[in-house]
Amino acid sequence: MAARGHVQDPNDRRLRPIYDYLDNGNNKMAIQQADKLLKKHKDLHCAKVLKAIGLQRTGKQDEAFTLAQEVAVLEPTDDNSLQALTILYREMHRPELVTKLYEAAVRKVPTSEEYHSHLFMAYARVGEYKKMQQAGMALYKIVPKNPYYFWSVMSLVMQSISAQDEKLSQTMFLPLAERMVEKMVKEEKIEAEAEVQLYFMILERLGKYVEALEVVQGPLGEKLTSELQSRENKCMMMYRRLERWAECNALSCKLLLKNPDDWQFYLLYFDSLFHLIDQSWTPPQEGAHSAEGEVHASTAQALSFMEDRIATEEAKESKHLRGPYLARLELIRRLRERSCPEAQQLGEPLELMFQFFVKFGDKPCCITDLKIFLDLLTPDQHVQFINRLMEAVPLCAPGEDGVALPGDTRALQRHLCVTQLSRSLGQQHALNTEGKLGLIKELKAHYQHGLQFGKSCLKTELQFSDMYCLMAAHVYVDLWLETGESNMLWQCLGLLEEGLSNSSSNAQFKLLLLLLYCRLGAFEPVVDLYSSLDAKHVQHDTIGYLLTRYAESLGQFAAASQSCNFSLRFFHSNQKDTSEYIIQAYKYGAFEKIPEFIGFRNRLNHSLHFAQVRTERMLLDLFLEADISSPLEESVKSMSLCPEEDDIPWDSLRDNRDLTVLVSWDPKDRQLNEEHRQRSLEEDTLWLRLRSLTLRLIGCVSALSHPPASRNSEKTTENGVAAKPSSLQSLLSQLENTLNQATQFSEKQLQVRTVTDRLALSSGCCQCQLSSLQLPLHLQELEATGLGSLLHTSLYMLEKCKGDLLEVKDSHSMTQHFLLENLVYFVETVCIVLWVSNYCGSVLRPLKSSLQKKKKKKKEARNVDQSFSSLQSLLNQALEHIKSQELSLTALELGALSLEAEATFTKTAMDKVQSSYLRSLQEIGELLKKRADTLKSLKI
Amino acid sequence: ELTKMTTLRAFTCDDLFKFNNINLDPLTETYGIPFYLQYLAHWPEYFIVAEAPGGELMGYIMGKAEGSVAREEWHGHVTALSVAPEFRRLGLAAKLMEMLEEISERKGGFFVDLFVRVSNQVAVNMYKQLGYSVYRTVIEYYSANNGEPDEDAYDMRKALSRDTEKKSIIPLPHPVRPEDIE
Repeated sequence: MAARGHVQDPNDRRLRPIYDYLDNGNNKMAIQQADKLLKKHKDLHCAKVLKAIGLQRTGKQDEAFTLAQEVAVLEPTDDNSLQALTILYREMHRPELVTKLYEAAVRKVPTSEEYHSHLFMAYARVGEYKKMQQAGMALYKIVPKNPYYFWSVMSLVMQSISAQDEKLSQTMFLPLAERMVEKMVKEEKIEAEAEVQLYFMILERLGKYVEALEVVQGPLGEKLTSELQSRENKCMMMYRRLERWAECNALSCKLLLKNPDDWQFYLLYFDSLFHLIDQSWTPPQEGAHSAEGEVHASTAQALSFMEDRIATEEAKESKHLRGPYLARLELIRRLRERSCPEAQQLGEPLELMFQFFVKFGDKPCCITDLKIFLDLLTPDQHVQFINRLMEAVPLCAPGEDGVALPGDTRALQRHLCVTQLSRSLGQQHALNTEGKLGLIKELKAHYQHGLQFGKSCLKTELQFSDMYCLMAAHVYVDLWLETGESNMLWQCLGLLEEGLSNSSSNAQFKLLLLLLYCRLGAFEPVVDLYSSLDAKHVQHDTIGYLLTRYAESLGQFAAASQSCNFSLRFFHSNQKDTSEYIIQAYKYGAFEKIPEFIGFRNRLNHSLHFAQVRTERMLLDLFLEADISSPLEESVKSMSLCPEEDDIPWDSLRDNRDLTVLVSWDPKDRQLNEEHRQRSLEEDTLWLRLRSLTLRLIGCVSALSHPPASRNSEKTTENGVAAKPSSLQSLLSQLENTLNQATQFSEKQLQVRTVTDRLALSSGCCQCQLSSLQLPLHLQELEATGLGSLLHTSLYMLEKCKGDLLEVKDSHSMTQHFLLENLVYFVETVCIVLWVSNYCGSVLRPLKSSLQKKKKKKKEARNVDQSFSSLQSLLNQALEHIKSQELSLTALELGALSLEAEATFTKTAMDKVQSSYLRSLQEIGELLKKRADTLKSLKI
Repeated sequence: ELTKMTTLRAFTCDDLFKFNNINLDPLTETYGIPFYLQYLAHWPEYFIVAEAPGGELMGYIMGKAEGSVAREEWHGHVTALSVAPEFRRLGLAAKLMEMLEEISERKGGFFVDLFVRVSNQVAVNMYKQLGYSVYRTVIEYYSANNGEPDEDAYDMRKALSRDTEKKSIIPLPHPVRPEDIE
């Protein structure tokens, strides 16, 4: 806990045991000790606050708050109370109260540096920039230390960043900040590097690039020493902004001479070169070319510069750098784009890439390096290119199976690289089925053979030949997608399982297995795979989607809650965590990090995945618990679900998914591109909208049965039916619109490859959920006939769930995993229908007795009763189906499949899928059974 | 417009969304957000990332400066250094270490130190090649998570030019416990 003063105060001694209890998590004893102390020393305020902390930590928030306020109104000025209250308010997530606390403290002790500084930080925590600016200046007036002055300056910059009005930002906040710094510069009071950094940042934001450049190059710039090449990098940035291409070019040249492997400066060198050529730049008559020295402004100069860089590398005995060779290819590309004939002078790309391969082919990154230059080859060169590379791969004479194998790991890496390039050129995709199977055989031979090199590898290391295994798996996936033959997928899973057994740390095996099991509808094996990836913290956002996208829809509800929880815990801690480091950034003068941290916090808060898991978690809780372990309205209340409120920032959702986490060597036209990413984001956003509206509508249904008392007394319709909240109507029409959009979207998707496919749309579940949620509206007009037609649709949906999940046909095992997803959405729909029915029942029940005479209503009630009993039979039918599936799955002997001897891993994969299906069926069945039980109590 | 910018640059928060190919390695720890933010706020110059021409992150180093100047213990510390599997064997780790040493030199550090698992022979050998030597062994520095025994760490050091007599790297005769190190 916080520091407790310097001099031994008798109160400190008295309070110590309470602090100790709190530190050790013994909150009860802390409270008791505080009570004891307060009996003797009534005005020992800090004891009260410490007691409040104990209460807060034992879940007694209200009591804690009341007690804390007793002290707060006294406006304490002792360190102990202030620090304890700060801790308490932070734990209560009420940082704004800390500002009030220190506002009072500085009013009482206006000369306290400490309290003023706390006040500044309290404002920083809640982002009160204007008050921060004032607090910083007040602090500086008491203690004229530079950091305080610059805190105030930075607060102005933050006001400009957060200002809605760009003009205000450019004409008021930033110029004011600039003047404040200028004043210090004139008085020669600039002390720290951070102050110069901030000055630069202000000038840059103002677009005063010339002035910014002067600062960096002048005496103030000498303070920029912490970061390597800080001055050079800043100058370069300004040259670019100012389009001073001569300086940009000369500086890139200088930096490349110093480090010929720094790719960014090659790009800048080329950019500036071509700008200069386009401007027909000529050097001045006399004097230096530019402030940065010699400038290259012709193709000839660039060619010779590149040749010099290469010659320098060639002259080296070892440790050749890749940069110059890759830069030469980049220059060819750029010259070709400009149709410059000089491109040929640099050489033929095929030959240059061959030479690169000779030098670096045994490095694992060779494929990554060359991949981006493959488009320099013409299609008719592809075969020649691969053949040429193969010449530089030392392989032993082919064995019995006709496969020539490498003799060591370097040769292996070279061969692997050629294979990867061949795939990138589309040569593998061009093969027919037979050709692909042959390729797989060859890749497997290389994989198995390569394992001998890694016998001494530790568990944490990868096997040298792992990538062959992964590529063979990719070819299997190609075959599966082409032919639809599930056998290909089984083989693929088996191979990956085998790979994982030889190389237990290979994340790529795990990721692909994970994805394929999900595609097969088997979530059970995914749990272990994901947990062995040891994904933590921010990874719950970037790759957590692999888990949360599938868990619920595949009927593994327990695992689904758990995966949502992992992610939610991470997101919830973000807000508090980042505020703390924004404050640290002020303390350490890392001013440029402050907007970065705020941007980061927003990126996490606005994460698409955050909104998804938040929504799915609540839906899941309702599906699993509401009206089973507690009534719907209690569940809704406990999750503070408010139908009127939309808490999803639709316009600023951020897609933080790492969609490239799976390695791919696919040719360019098959690779994930920006368009795929956009489409996937659009699809996921639509789906989120559907789910979020469904969730809010469920909240509405709950509010209908238990309207807030005040509203109820005001409005009642003539029929005695509670008024519909206006939000119901509006949410329903939103849901209907979104559903239409989604349907259109998925129809459009049918023509192209989809990234993620939501079966609920095609199976009609969403439509059915919408219809059921519409029922309360119709009930207003006492038209419960809707329930009948709803049942009809449900029956149709159940039909879509029927069939065998897994079966053995002609010694092949086949899956119909989509049945599982359909079943889950069917059960979801049942939940909604039941909640709505429950509401209908509650409305109609009193009418039955009191309005006997109105025939229409009586008839209506009877209709509803009939509907309830057909609902019951529908559920029974579904339960029977699940039971029979469970039985046939259990009875299914996969061992009966005539699998080859080496296919034990394929058998492992099949067993996992079978076991997973069973588990899903059990979970779904259990939920449905519980739901069926609630139906029994439904009667009018 | 800056997306093509590559190679060695300051690590930023946005890189946390892109470092999976580096951090899915079993020996690379993914820390909580506060840990990264603390380093970014306090020692941003010590957090450097390498980016490939295609935009993939290749590896990063994260470090800090700490210790008392008066006691000649002011030094640079390597907190994390990791290179993605496909970008290994390029000398990237050595380059990143060189940069961290250069920054520590500028700050007037006496030495640079780091902790490494005793079992991580590949890393230990690499650091030895870069001029580091074992200063002491820290007993059970790494806590294991799945029932395996806790693992010892080597505290390895390399003297900087300020430590002219290389006093800072004279090996301790006995191993120490984690609670005895600062």
